[in-house]
Amino acid sequence: MSERGQKITARGAASFTPRVGKAPEFFSRYGSALLLVLLVGLEAGAVRFVIRDLRSADNEVQRMYASSVLGLRRIGNLQYDAQETRRSTLYALSTENSNLQVQYADQSRLADARVTAGIAEYLKEAELPGEIELGSRLQRDWSTYLAVRDEVLGLILEGSTKEAVALDLAKGVPLFDRVRQSLDETQRLYDEQASQRLLNVANISRRSVIRLVSVLLCTILTAGVFVWVLQKSRMASTLQFARMQMDFAASVSHELRTPLAVLCSAVDNIADGVVTGKEQLARYASTIRNQSRQINGLVSQVLLFASTQDGKGRYVMRPTNIAEVIESAVVGINELVMKAGFTLEQHIAPSLPLVLCDATALSQCLQNLITNALKYGEKGRWIGIRAAGEESKDGRNQEVRIDVHDRGHGIERSEMQRIFEPFYRSPAAVSNQIHGTGLGLPIAKNLAEAMGGRLSVTSELGVGTIFTLRLPVFDEINETEQKLVQQ
Amino acid sequence: MRRFITITVLVWLAAAALLRWAPVPVGASPPKEEGLAIVVNQANSMNELSMPELRTIFLGERSHWPNGRRITIVMMDAGRPEREAVLREICRMSESDLRRRFVQGLLTGEILVSPKTLSSPEGVRKFVFNVPGAIGYMRPSDVDASVKVLRIDGHYPNDAQYALRVPERNER
Repeated sequence: MSERGQKITARGAASFTPRVGKAPEFFSRYGSALLLVLLVGLEAGAVRFVIRDLRSADNEVQRMYASSVLGLRRIGNLQYDAQETRRSTLYALSTENSNLQVQYADQSRLADARVTAGIAEYLKEAELPGEIELGSRLQRDWSTYLAVRDEVLGLILEGSTKEAVALDLAKGVPLFDRVRQSLDETQRLYDEQASQRLLNVANISRRSVIRLVSVLLCTILTAGVFVWVLQKSRMASTLQFARMQMDFAASVSHELRTPLAVLCSAVDNIADGVVTGKEQLARYASTIRNQSRQINGLVSQVLLFASTQDGKGRYVMRPTNIAEVIESAVVGINELVMKAGFTLEQHIAPSLPLVLCDATALSQCLQNLITNALKYGEKGRWIGIRAAGEESKDGRNQEVRIDVHDRGHGIERSEMQRIFEPFYRSPAAVSNQIHGTGLGLPIAKNLAEAMGGRLSVTSELGVGTIFTLRLPVFDEINETEQKLVQQ
Repeated sequence: MRRFITITVLVWLAAAALLRWAPVPVGASPPKEEGLAIVVNQANSMNELSMPELRTIFLGERSHWPNGRRITIVMMDAGRPEREAVLREICRMSESDLRRRFVQGLLTGEILVSPKTLSSPEGVRKFVFNVPGAIGYMRPSDVDASVKVLRIDGHYPNDAQYALRVPERNER
């Protein structure tokens, strides 16, 4: 057969899955996993965004607390201590007891030390130019006020009350007012910052909610679309499966009806006494036997397919001489070949390596391929079987390749993908009244794969078809090693 | 036997009487003394005073420092050893004489301000720290960096030649 022929490998197309469109089949098979992956991806993305927003909001709140809230508290303390400084100084005026006056002076100085330290801390943490300017002004005003306060305190303690009051009114009061105004301004600045940060937090929270809702909506929408596609593809698969089951039932019924009709007719004739004579009876018996065998063969094929379908068939894998198996298969089917008037040629390469396979299953596989050639090679009435050793595709292993040729009409490109589907009958075969169940090739393929091999087909319209069965060569060294490991 | 007991009891009684009325041992050392520091405000430019100058100040005869600041005298409560030392060594008069002198001075206008009285060395120190023209006294152990110690007649309180002395504080 020409190299220009179309070629397809049957590996992987084995399971009894109804044939539907590529995309629906893909969705049907991987839809759930895809949906899960997509949903997880979407949710992960959403969670990532939300976590980022939450962190951002948390940072903003912390900053707000650290700078604004604590700042406001600090300014509140500063205001109190500044008042305490002044209050304690003035308390000293209320008594002539020097011991009490000294205590008030002490209180005033302790309070002013706290204010001085607080202003220095504010200035240290100030970042904005406005804050720095305000802090510097506050520090300056406070120092000036303290100088006057010291003067006033000294006058009070030495008993010069009038001079102390005059000095305080002239200088102390205006300076303290400036300090108070600066502190009020600082408080206002903190208030503004706190409001701004609160606004930022609110914005972040709003953005986070919008993102979350959007992603959830997208997730729901995507999930809906996926579920719809999934349901649709499953529905299509179910319908196709039902249709194929009906086709199969019709096909099997049709295949059974012909021999059954012959059987019934023969039995009726015998029963009615139409058959007379030993010779005629022998002919009828032969007919009944043939039809019974045909029915039996059909039922066996269905059962065989069922047993190979789940891939759990029990095979006895042994190093096998391929030439012997081919010979056995040919002998088993030779009668059919002869009856059909076909010529069968064999080209078995000498000294073929042993193959690890189940001889019975391999023989069945070859018989199916030869039977297929008999059915569809009517045009050339020739079948060729060729067996040779070759390297595997990856070049690492040795394989034995068995080709089964025919010179029939060939297979159309559109049919190539489907001939290994169970119960599939090509419209041409049906119209040409070529009997079959559509199980021969799927069985052959299942058997080949169960033995670690693969079955492929190349075909050219009008020229013929080649089914190629490749089986791995028995590697004695590897096999021994594996046994040792198992032991 | 009765005589022996009587003699023993008498001996014991005599010994107890001797111990009870024993005189102070000869050679016991007199109470220790330490210098009494005269302190002023750190802003005060004065570093040294003579004993006569100190007397004029503490008797209210001198009312202003050379820089024009009014002098404010700070005394401790009556009865304290430090105050007694000042009365004895500087003012050279009794408590009542000093009180009388200041009352008369204030009435006549010779004295502008009566001395401020504080109950503790710490109070004196803080007063002097707060009032630029204040002058007070305290033991060296009560002095810290917030006040300035003046030399009197060229000597600091820890010097042996320092004239103004006060019995050491009884820590017990």
